[in-house]
Amino acid sequence: MKVILVDDEQKFINMLAKRLALRGIQADVVFSGEDAVKKITNSTYDVAVLDIKMPGISGIQLKRKLSTLNPGLKFIFVTGHGAVSKSDEDLIEKDFYLSKPLDIETLIQRIKELTKAG
Amino acid sequence: MIKKIQASIKNIWPEFHKHKQNDHLKSFYTFTDYWHLWTMSIFVLAVTALSPLCIVTLIHYQLIQKSVDSELNLRTERLTSNAKRSVAFFMEERLDALIFTVNEMGYEQLTENDKLAEILKNLKLGFGGVSDLSVFDEDGSQVAYAGPFNLKGKNYKCQPWFLQSLKKKYFISEVFTGYRDIPHIIIAVKSIKPDKSFFILRATLDTERLMKTLTSYKTGDHTDIFLINHKGILQTPSTNYGNIFTQTDLEIFNYSSNTEVTMSTCQKVPVILGHSFISTDMVDTPFILMVQKKKAGMMHIWLKLRRNINWTVGISVVLIVLVITFASTFMTNRLYLIDKAKAEAMLQMEQNQQLAAIGQLAAGVAHEINNPLAVINQTAGYVKDLYSFKDEPRSDAEIIENIDSILEAVDRCGTITQQLLGFVRQFDIKIKKISLQKIVSDVLSFHKKEAEYRGIKVTVSIPDTISDMETDSGKLQQILVNIINNAFQALDEGCCLDIIASQIDTRTIELVIQDTGCGIPEDNLSKINEPFFSTKQDQMGTGLGLSITYGLVKKLGGNIFVQSTEGVGTSFTITLPVKIQEGEFS
Repeated sequence: MKVILVDDEQKFINMLAKRLALRGIQADVVFSGEDAVKKITNSTYDVAVLDIKMPGISGIQLKRKLSTLNPGLKFIFVTGHGAVSKSDEDLIEKDFYLSKPLDIETLIQRIKELTKAG
Repeated sequence: MIKKIQASIKNIWPEFHKHKQNDHLKSFYTFTDYWHLWTMSIFVLAVTALSPLCIVTLIHYQLIQKSVDSELNLRTERLTSNAKRSVAFFMEERLDALIFTVNEMGYEQLTENDKLAEILKNLKLGFGGVSDLSVFDEDGSQVAYAGPFNLKGKNYKCQPWFLQSLKKKYFISEVFTGYRDIPHIIIAVKSIKPDKSFFILRATLDTERLMKTLTSYKTGDHTDIFLINHKGILQTPSTNYGNIFTQTDLEIFNYSSNTEVTMSTCQKVPVILGHSFISTDMVDTPFILMVQKKKAGMMHIWLKLRRNINWTVGISVVLIVLVITFASTFMTNRLYLIDKAKAEAMLQMEQNQQLAAIGQLAAGVAHEINNPLAVINQTAGYVKDLYSFKDEPRSDAEIIENIDSILEAVDRCGTITQQLLGFVRQFDIKIKKISLQKIVSDVLSFHKKEAEYRGIKVTVSIPDTISDMETDSGKLQQILVNIINNAFQALDEGCCLDIIASQIDTRTIELVIQDTGCGIPEDNLSKINEPFFSTKQDQMGTGLGLSITYGLVKKLGGNIFVQSTEGVGTSFTITLPVKIQEGEFS
């Protein structure tokens, strides 16, 4: 199972990747939407964990791009905002979204649920 | 009892009289001085309502006064004329009788005492008022006498009346006492004897009869009717001037055969004075008839009417003033209560809006805090993992690096909470010296990340030369938060927001906040400062943001105007005084 983490908060996802690795989940880290697109073009992933608010391409826009590149990819959104705006909610209805600061066990559980369902 | 009265007075006493200034509410009142409004309202209404009443009353007074005056004049003139005719007739009648006697009898018969006594008797019977008859020679000696006094043989050649009689054919004297010491009038007729010398027939008239004639014209206590001679000495008694022979201070007019009426005063009382010189067809008399009518006495009907008018006008004025006072108090009070409710609601709304603006900021701030919290969370979790997963190699350097990372994230959180607190503390009114640069950058700091995410280019151009402002920083901050929040809502990705400040003069600073957002449709542009106008129906906008911003700018003594073109962008221009004026501040 391969996971890609996309967030501009570098320290956060570096730590998250290390902790996922400790729990047997291989996670690649990119700090922007552009890098994520590049990364997905070269290799395949099962789950993408995206920050909704990022400079440049936002999480939602990135989901659209990545879906076309890798149609089987599942998404989990992470946001620092307590709530997601109504327009964003429609787009991510089928996906999970988690609030920062997030609990790693919940994240792993969501990743597992998604991969099982797929 | 006293407490009860005090309590009931307190209940009726209008609310605005008990108004207490509240710095927070002051600026929301439409009228600042309700006392002034109340007194002005009473004054203006009273003047408007009472002046026609007063003017009409005065005109009415003048008209009545004029007509009463002319009526009085007419009445006095008629009375004077009638009395004058009677007096003249009295004199004329007796003079004619004497002329007839002289012509009929001749000197011889007249000097016979018996004959003279008979003539006197007949004169008394026919005319009355004649007390004696005498015949004088040209040397002044009395040759015959008929009457009650023993005056026969007396010589009159030095008597004034005799000297006067010599000069004229007929003579009527003033009233005088003479030898008999009783006031009387003399009528003398000069006639030629057969020997060409002359003699004088003299009749003495008692003044009683004359006075009776005059008295019969008295129409009331307020009328005084009397005779004076040409020197102003009373010839008959007068109610106002005293007894016969009293010298009066009456003005002696030039001779005129007509009756004249003038306005005058007698013992400081206004009177109407009618006078007429008395003369007969054959001889002038030394008498002037005077008729004095006291105006007040004659005007009692008018005075009674005036008293009634005064009462009616007085009561009307009191009633009008009472009604006006009551109505003004009621209206002012209602206005005050409505204004007070409005002011309280506006204050509440302003505070709510302030809270809403802070709420809006809080959402941004939450994101800013959640990011470092997530870092702390994961880093601390990782350190825990290092100890939980026993086989995992760990070094002190790595642990320290991770803890540093946690501390750094805590610092980030600290900075953000400090900024937020700086905002929340501004609720109280406080004037202080502030730097526009700092306040703008404080406000923008909350939008920094959002601008970054959305690719919004924010440019701030505030020259260092701009003076520090002395103003209510809380209000200024709120103005900026409202406008910048609005701008961010209107901006799409890649748009620009420019904040440009310039110093217009030493006392004024201009701040322009312009964006290249969606702009405001022309129809809405005129409504944006109206309360409750909002186009953000799906976003739960209160419609108060800009209306409160307008109010806040006014409170800081500034002005704000907006220019907007749909699809091009919006520009808010705010001019603010460098130093807020004491009076403006609230």
